[in-house]
Amino acid sequence: MQDVRWNDPESSRYLGKSVPRLDGPGKVTGNAKYTFDIVLPGMLHAKVLRSPHANARVANLDVSGARNMPGVRAVFTDLPQTARFAGAEIAAVAADTEEIARDAIRAIKVQWEVEPHVVSTRRGMRDSARVGRPREATRGQDPDTLWSSAAAVIEAEYYCPVREHLSLETHGLVVQWQEPDRATVWLSTQAVHGSRGELAGALGIPQQNVEVICEVMGGGFGSKFGPGVEGRIASALSKMTGKPVKLMLERYDEQVASGNAPDALMRVKAAMSADGKLLAFDSQIWGTPGNGNNSGIPMPYIYTVPNQKTWQAGVSTNTGGARAWRAPNCPPASFLMESVVDELANKLGLDPVKVRQINQGSEIRTKQLELGAQMIGWENRNKTPGAGSARYKRGMGCAVAQWGGGMGQPCNCDVKIGNDGSVYVGIGTQDLGTGTRTYVATIVAEDLGLPLSRVRADIGRSSLPFATGSGGSVTSPSVAPAVKDASMKAQVRLLETAATLMSAQASDLELRDGKIASKSNPSNAMTFDQVCAKLPPGGIAVSGTTLASLQQGGVAGAQFVEVEVDTWTGKIQPIKVVAVQDCGYVLNKLTAESQLIGGVIQGLCMALLEDRKMDEPTGRMLNPNMEMYKVIGSLEVPEIIPVLYETHDKVAGIGEPAVIPAAAACVNAVYNATGVRLRTLPMTPKRWFEAMEATQ
Amino acid sequence: MPKEESQTNGFSRRQFIRVSGAAVAASTVAGTIISAKPKPDAAPTVPAAQGAIDVTLKVNGKTHTLNVQPRVTLLDALRERLEITGPKRICDRGSCGGCTVIKDGKTVYACMMLAVDAQNSDILTVEGMGTPENMSVVQAKFVEHDALMCGFCTPGFVTSVHAVLEKNPNATDAEIRRACAGNICRCGTFNRVFEAAVAAAKAGGSA
Amino acid sequence: MNNFSWIEPKTVAEAVTAVKNGGAPMSGGVELLCLLKEHLIQPPSVVNLKTIPGMRSIEAVAGGMKIGALVTATDVAESTVIRTDYAGLHQAAASIACPQIRNVGTVGGNLCQRPRCWYYRDPEIKCLKRGGQACYAVAGNNEYHAILGGGPCHIVHPSDLGSAFLAYGATVVTNERQIPINQFFVLPKDDILHENNLRAGELITGVDVAADWKGARAAFYKAKERESFDWALSTALVLLKMSGSTVADARVVLGGVAPVPWRSAEAENALKGKTVSDTVAIAAGQAAVSKATPMSENRYKVPLTANVVRIAVLQAAGLKAE
Repeated sequence: MQDVRWNDPESSRYLGKSVPRLDGPGKVTGNAKYTFDIVLPGMLHAKVLRSPHANARVANLDVSGARNMPGVRAVFTDLPQTARFAGAEIAAVAADTEEIARDAIRAIKVQWEVEPHVVSTRRGMRDSARVGRPREATRGQDPDTLWSSAAAVIEAEYYCPVREHLSLETHGLVVQWQEPDRATVWLSTQAVHGSRGELAGALGIPQQNVEVICEVMGGGFGSKFGPGVEGRIASALSKMTGKPVKLMLERYDEQVASGNAPDALMRVKAAMSADGKLLAFDSQIWGTPGNGNNSGIPMPYIYTVPNQKTWQAGVSTNTGGARAWRAPNCPPASFLMESVVDELANKLGLDPVKVRQINQGSEIRTKQLELGAQMIGWENRNKTPGAGSARYKRGMGCAVAQWGGGMGQPCNCDVKIGNDGSVYVGIGTQDLGTGTRTYVATIVAEDLGLPLSRVRADIGRSSLPFATGSGGSVTSPSVAPAVKDASMKAQVRLLETAATLMSAQASDLELRDGKIASKSNPSNAMTFDQVCAKLPPGGIAVSGTTLASLQQGGVAGAQFVEVEVDTWTGKIQPIKVVAVQDCGYVLNKLTAESQLIGGVIQGLCMALLEDRKMDEPTGRMLNPNMEMYKVIGSLEVPEIIPVLYETHDKVAGIGEPAVIPAAAACVNAVYNATGVRLRTLPMTPKRWFEAMEATQ
Repeated sequence: MPKEESQTNGFSRRQFIRVSGAAVAASTVAGTIISAKPKPDAAPTVPAAQGAIDVTLKVNGKTHTLNVQPRVTLLDALRERLEITGPKRICDRGSCGGCTVIKDGKTVYACMMLAVDAQNSDILTVEGMGTPENMSVVQAKFVEHDALMCGFCTPGFVTSVHAVLEKNPNATDAEIRRACAGNICRCGTFNRVFEAAVAAAKAGGSA
Repeated sequence: MNNFSWIEPKTVAEAVTAVKNGGAPMSGGVELLCLLKEHLIQPPSVVNLKTIPGMRSIEAVAGGMKIGALVTATDVAESTVIRTDYAGLHQAAASIACPQIRNVGTVGGNLCQRPRCWYYRDPEIKCLKRGGQACYAVAGNNEYHAILGGGPCHIVHPSDLGSAFLAYGATVVTNERQIPINQFFVLPKDDILHENNLRAGELITGVDVAADWKGARAAFYKAKERESFDWALSTALVLLKMSGSTVADARVVLGGVAPVPWRSAEAENALKGKTVSDTVAIAAGQAAVSKATPMSENRYKVPLTANVVRIAVLQAAGLKAE
């Protein structure tokens, strides 16, 4: 067996090039069917009753009003009757129409025993019973002994609020129960295989009897691994009624109950030596994952500080629970740490880029910083932060990041070639909008020398060979090497037949443009279809598995942001972003760049607008909608230059890393522009004027 | 105007993908998601609800009569009754643009309009602008420029861009951005939406 | 939404009857559907005003402009005569929400919007405005609430057209009477449950804009958190009548900072008789907020509003605001 390597992008037709995504035409014409779009004959609509209280117990639940309503087919109450946040699921109904289901929910009467609640980290951290066991670490000398000797010391408090995933397609599913023991489930998920067991358990049937389908899905960002409580409810209602049941969360439900990223309140003292080396670091971090008290902000993130003391603890509050959020914990870590480094560098009058290069250990990142600085025109930054009295002030900032993104669980992949020349590749992965479907097809098309249109890529179903869940940027490093393995096996088998037919050595044959030809004697050639016709009956059917040698984790990145600040209104407008991202072997340039652009935009949303607002007196979320939970729109989006920094010949995952440093770079750019350090996100006009007030 | 000028017949034949029950063998060939068992054209039967009235909608050139309660939104009527699911329900409160359709030449949020209130109008959705095999210029440019990722907001953006290019075939980047100000993309495809829209303008607009 | 019946009146009189029977009048429908979807209102019927002929024109008349209640924000924003003669109204209309909403939202509906206060909009919370006992913004999060004219409820009025009509001196025309715009909006201290003086069953049929300020120098400036599509944090509409290089008369109306569109006599007085400069504009901004009483979380609106006025004054005077 030859050593399998990725195709040389210099000579490839698809790999490493820009290939428009295969499901694009379906998506732009409304033809692609998302879970939310599934309409089945006789389908019922389910809705969920949620607790209006942040901490309460159900004393009495009267569902008769719902049960007796015309058009209501089932009521489900097998749910915990205690609510630890406003939004906890209490009961559910299935009805002929959505409108009736909503009426039925309102007809359920609940008597509550309401208990005191806490919904903010700042309030919760005062109550030791709500604070989890701290995670502490020390290194070197006690920082307290070093402050006095340091060239620069800063002491500050930073805050990054809870952010939501805000997936546009809400969580949900359609369950079609089939007597006596089978079910088909359309689920908006990041893991068709990973969800099967939980659904089978909810339905009480063998895992093999559940088919989970997710052809296309409308965003998950870490929040959509399992079917969760929605899965339990819809499964039960479908089984109870014998009809297909659709349960897609309402926008309110989505925003109160389907996950979020914990906040991070950091109190820090840090010191730097005159030559720009981090000397000492002492941090305390609190954050709430909802009803729990774990925490996991990596600190001091990518930096090594010789003398450091870190402490962090989770704070349990009566709020919706956290879930993995694109590059979990790293965007806040980057914001916190990159602000600290920037403050110290500026205090010493040192170049923030150079200070980063001195203090972090990655050679790649050092080069990325150089490249990014050159591309944004770093030498044109504001030499004196905040100089001048103009209304609009421009400045530049930078920040760096690190992410894993290697192999997840090994995957399996089928490739089949028919005697009729048909080519099929099947793998039970899912495409979150990253372009998975497209590279599954291009890898095979490349290896078989066929136009892409001849390869049928089949993904998004749990009856296909196992693939890992799509989280942690592991999809490409896990899926692509399995497809490659299967594709090369198919190629070997095809060339064996061709070699016999053409009286040539298999090693002398190449596949290109639908033909198989001898490299040494190009006139000795057959078409792909001619060879396929001579394959043994049944054609070729091979299976591949993830080849660890084709993937690599650990990707570095650096971003530069230029902003313009309207100092009269506190409005911050990003002007230009350069995102240099270690990408490994690029499977598809077009979709890889889109990942970087999208990551930057989400990072800017975090910098400028995102903020889950909880109301302490009522315990309720104040902005459980897309009107008041804000993300940036068409007029905020700056010019973004994605730079695919290809460092090796192995596939790496880049779904997450680009989201990490953008907010930090934006914060640092605002400082460079105005000389005002905003330590609380998001950087709204409110924060701007509060910072101005504090400086006066 | 929609590429499909006329009307009743040609449209239904090519337009819908149906997912019908357990027989579904959805699969993907070059991006077209197809199903093995197309369903007849009738809307799925929903039992008559209290106070339901007949509502006639003209969507993508085809006239449909539905029996729905007056409180059913245009969006829910399109999606759940007519299976025209290009317009998406995302915020359901007129904040995100996912449900944008063109009503008598102007973009509107279908989630904030009652179906009964959309009678006597021409409604155009992305389904009426093109098909996977025969995309409109705007749709084709979206694909070419990768102006979509998860794709859930995409029909709304395609619709807003289509409308602005109908009005001004030479729309600039700034005008396109203003036309898309009521559309939210969470994956962050904005830049490429604007690129695609400018490219579409250069290539002949919304045709 | 509750299950209501649908009424299509053919005349204003029919509509009035239906509304007096509890029907909710609907024009563009965006705001009404927001209220219905949160069950903030549960009317037995919805009355579609758009089936009534008329009320859709913008007419220049001897005494000014007549604008029908069903004219959309897009129509106002695209009207050449408004752009030319009532530039502040044009700018205010063009600033509303986003294209999809401007295309359906009407002049009448814009004036009758209910507050966006997140306590008022939460179906689980019964605030003063919904007949409850407390304004939750006082002890809660009031970052988007009023700094002028608040109490006991602290909402801000969301109508941009209201600001423009107040500045230009308009009259709200209803099926019953003509209401001068400065008597149309009401403060919570005068009526906690309503934001305007319309009687039960009274319908706006149009707005007459007086010619007094026709052609005046005008600027509308709106500060938002999100430029693309957002509610105002603060707005200022400034009209200047010039006598040579000095301001003969001025109108300054603030939005997003008070329970009603807020005319600032203090700012107007700071402008009258002056030659506009940045110093004068700053003084007008300071004057506009001189009586502000911010709450716990909205102090930022005070300097912001001062600057918003400063910008609008400079823009109205044709000076560079930077």
